[in-house]
Amino acid sequence: MKKIVAFPQMGNYYVPAEYLFSRILNCKIMSPKKITRNTIEMGTKNSPDFVCMPFKYTLGTMIECLDSGADIVMQFGGGCRYGYYSELQEQILKDLGYSFQYINLISAGKADVKKIYMEMKKVNPKLKIVQSLYYLLVARTMIKYMDNVDDYIRHNMGFEEKAGELAGLNKRMLKEFSGAKGLIHLTNIYIKYYKQIKKVKIVKNKNCLKVGIIGELYSVMEPFANYYLEKELASYNIDITRFTNVEYLLFQKKKQIKKYLKKAKNYIKYKMGADASDNIARTLLMCEEKYDGIIHIKSSFCTPEIGAMPIINKICNEYDIPVIFFSFDSNTSEVGIKTRLEAFHDMIEMRRNR
Amino acid sequence: MNCYLGIDIGSISTKGVIIDDSNNIICSIYLWTEGNPVEAVKKLINNLKENIPPDYNIKGIGTTGSARKLIGLMLDANVVKNEITAHAIGTLSIHPDVRTILEIGGQDSKIILLDRGIVVDYAMNTLCAAGTGAFLSSQAKRLGVAIEEFGTFALKSNNPTKIAARCTVFAESDLVHKAGMGYSKEDIIAGLCKSIVLNYLNNVGKGKKIKGPIVFQGGVSKNKGVVKFFEEILNEEVIVDDNGHLMGALGVAILAKEHKSNKTYFLEMNQINFQTSAIECNKCPNNCDLLKIYKNNDLIETIGSICGKE
Amino acid sequence: MDKIKIGLPRSIFYYEHEYMWKCFFEKLGFEVITSHQTNQEIIRLGDKHSNDEMCLSMKIYLGHVSSLVNKCDYILVPRIDNYGLTKQTCTNFLSIYDLVKNLFNQKLLHYNIDYKKGETEKCAYFDIGKQLGKRKNEVKDAYDYALIKYYKEEKRRNIIALNKLNSKKLKILLVGHDYNTEDELIGTLIVDYLSKNNCEIIKSHEIPKEMTVNLYDKISKTLYWKQNRENVGSIVYCEDKIDGIILLSAFPCGSDSIVNELVIRRVKAPILNIVIDDLSSFSGFETRLESFLDIIKQKCKR
Repeated sequence: MKKIVAFPQMGNYYVPAEYLFSRILNCKIMSPKKITRNTIEMGTKNSPDFVCMPFKYTLGTMIECLDSGADIVMQFGGGCRYGYYSELQEQILKDLGYSFQYINLISAGKADVKKIYMEMKKVNPKLKIVQSLYYLLVARTMIKYMDNVDDYIRHNMGFEEKAGELAGLNKRMLKEFSGAKGLIHLTNIYIKYYKQIKKVKIVKNKNCLKVGIIGELYSVMEPFANYYLEKELASYNIDITRFTNVEYLLFQKKKQIKKYLKKAKNYIKYKMGADASDNIARTLLMCEEKYDGIIHIKSSFCTPEIGAMPIINKICNEYDIPVIFFSFDSNTSEVGIKTRLEAFHDMIEMRRNR
Repeated sequence: MNCYLGIDIGSISTKGVIIDDSNNIICSIYLWTEGNPVEAVKKLINNLKENIPPDYNIKGIGTTGSARKLIGLMLDANVVKNEITAHAIGTLSIHPDVRTILEIGGQDSKIILLDRGIVVDYAMNTLCAAGTGAFLSSQAKRLGVAIEEFGTFALKSNNPTKIAARCTVFAESDLVHKAGMGYSKEDIIAGLCKSIVLNYLNNVGKGKKIKGPIVFQGGVSKNKGVVKFFEEILNEEVIVDDNGHLMGALGVAILAKEHKSNKTYFLEMNQINFQTSAIECNKCPNNCDLLKIYKNNDLIETIGSICGKE
Repeated sequence: MDKIKIGLPRSIFYYEHEYMWKCFFEKLGFEVITSHQTNQEIIRLGDKHSNDEMCLSMKIYLGHVSSLVNKCDYILVPRIDNYGLTKQTCTNFLSIYDLVKNLFNQKLLHYNIDYKKGETEKCAYFDIGKQLGKRKNEVKDAYDYALIKYYKEEKRRNIIALNKLNSKKLKILLVGHDYNTEDELIGTLIVDYLSKNNCEIIKSHEIPKEMTVNLYDKISKTLYWKQNRENVGSIVYCEDKIDGIILLSAFPCGSDSIVNELVIRRVKAPILNIVIDDLSSFSGFETRLESFLDIIKQKCKR
């Protein structure tokens, strides 16, 4: 019997991940379940008190996946404490009595291709290097296409003539993506949908309100974790800019960070870990481009971002650009966030009309 | 003559204001929500009806506060606004040059910064309910002092006890401990008031440039002790209005006036049957708590869905 | 002419580097001013300048920095990133310099330790020397002098600590970052209480680093924080020589939140986990420490 592999979800990125693993691992892939209240409850119940939110959410997803029969659980580490999640999560799950194989792909914040390959080899001893590199390339290209489309949608979502058209096309595109036969097929699908998406009627005033979203990566990218912030903003007809996506994190960051540090050299000298220094530079960028407002989101107690917040605040004060900070944890009330966003919209609109 | 109704339904209290065309308050009312906004508003409307002079026609209704959507639907309001904007507009109509509005209410606290008559920055409490009105009243009960007397008690103290009020749980245990050790009630209450101010400035007011004139609103503004500590720490005069609690309602009434339609509203609440039912939706694992609103047995709105299936 | 004054904030980096810093600066002919031990005033200052969600230790650090403002010519605020790929420090340490720079308009003396990029501790000291306008050979002399003195002192402290392990009293290992266990308000309260109750306290950072540094993998294989490694290593080293462990962390410490949970799940010895959130009251801890001691004593009798 084939083994079943599961991994935590983040936004729509399960599509390329699923695509990759299903082709190289000779296993059944369990589509990650959408995060729900149940996920959060399970995660929170079994996590230490003041660990950050992504830990709780991903742990909750894993429990749900194991309950529905997964044999292998994957986690993708990262910088800050994300990189150390895996060992504790594994222990917690074992203490809960699950028996399974746990694979951590990235440890100590460094993606080591060789190590990842060895881990994969353990799961599928017949794995071939050439084949896996090819699918890796396809998945990587898929991420690029997805992020491109996402970016366009974000800027225009609030101005569709018929609401929901872009989101619908995006959904259909992702569905076709997961069935792509290879690189060329994938590109063809992308071009087809990109043309369609461009054709969607957009009624956009050049002077529309512009807001940028920055913050801790998980909260930014997982819509459930940020209470569908982007959707909410779009409903006020706001043009949204977001910098962080997987494409950026995995492929652009190395190049970009030096430019960013140079840009923000009046405020910071060093890297601050995770995306904190990037966010400071982006704040500066948006202030210079005269955005109407900046929204900074993070999960509670996210250390690198906490260090960046006073500096972001200082920059925004100097440029007189409004900024609000959201700090999410599993108890955050959705109503409270909506109220704050509504007020934020009122405020930037009033400032515009000054 | 035309008049406009603004209603502010908070978690603890419900406020209603009727204004005329030049923003004068014709009548106002203040009552407890008691956990049931629909009933509270019914009571409020019946009460207002008796107080409106006969030659006035209501040309607009606005709602604000945590139950604004529900009540907005119920009354068919023409404006439904969040409490931050409403408070700012209400306060501006009385203090046109105000720069900072501090507000500590029952469940939340906020700060609004204004410049030349528009909101330029604001913040609301992020963590828990520590330092809000609800917390103060529960501590008052614990100390056996009526909440209305809190301010007078606080003013008597010369040496406020230091109380850890960053988190409700910590604060409570600390309070019990200090009371057990024999600190005087006056000092503890003063300490509590001071810690609320410090907490507010460190949480909600963090990084905000607080400039005068400062207006302090919300239920807690009736507490003279808190006002005194605000003045002491900010080193600036803090204005507390007798009508401070009505600012949200006033603001939304003004907004209703600005968005007025030709429709005339009749406050006939008793003829319409309003019902709400809370159910847990089991269509997906979100298990959203849905609030369904029925008007004369017709479903008019469902609030609280995450996925949009309902 | 008065000597140039260099201010050392008494928190975060202080306890690990204090001795070396002092030797180094005094040899170069500077005056060192250390901020006062943590008190309520420093906490108030820290609260004023910090962000609400920062950990208590950071708030205290900013309080210390704030208390030094305008009292010295330079304030020493280093940035310590890592001692190699798998020996990283807390993410707070990465932003501390830029944060202080932006919050306080003060002349800062700083250095950067990043072994991944070849910026070693030695380079760091030469960097400070350069910023202070000293010649290279002077700096070298001072560095060598400080290093030797530091090793001597370290050895002396280690012997004392290891002797404590042979004590006849109830032995308790206090595990935590040195800036917490040594802090006048966070750690000392607990240490005082325990000493009064006739316990011998060994602090995790007193155990010689060369003994603990490679022991961590008995508990956790992928741990990549330097200080947590040493702490976990000290638990492994002492586990069978002591009667109980107290984990002390400041709310909401990022690395401790995960590591301590793992330690609790994997170590058999009696453990008390204390998280300090606010320093105005000691009442809650007293009860917990008392009951913890009772449990250990009963275990010993059996």
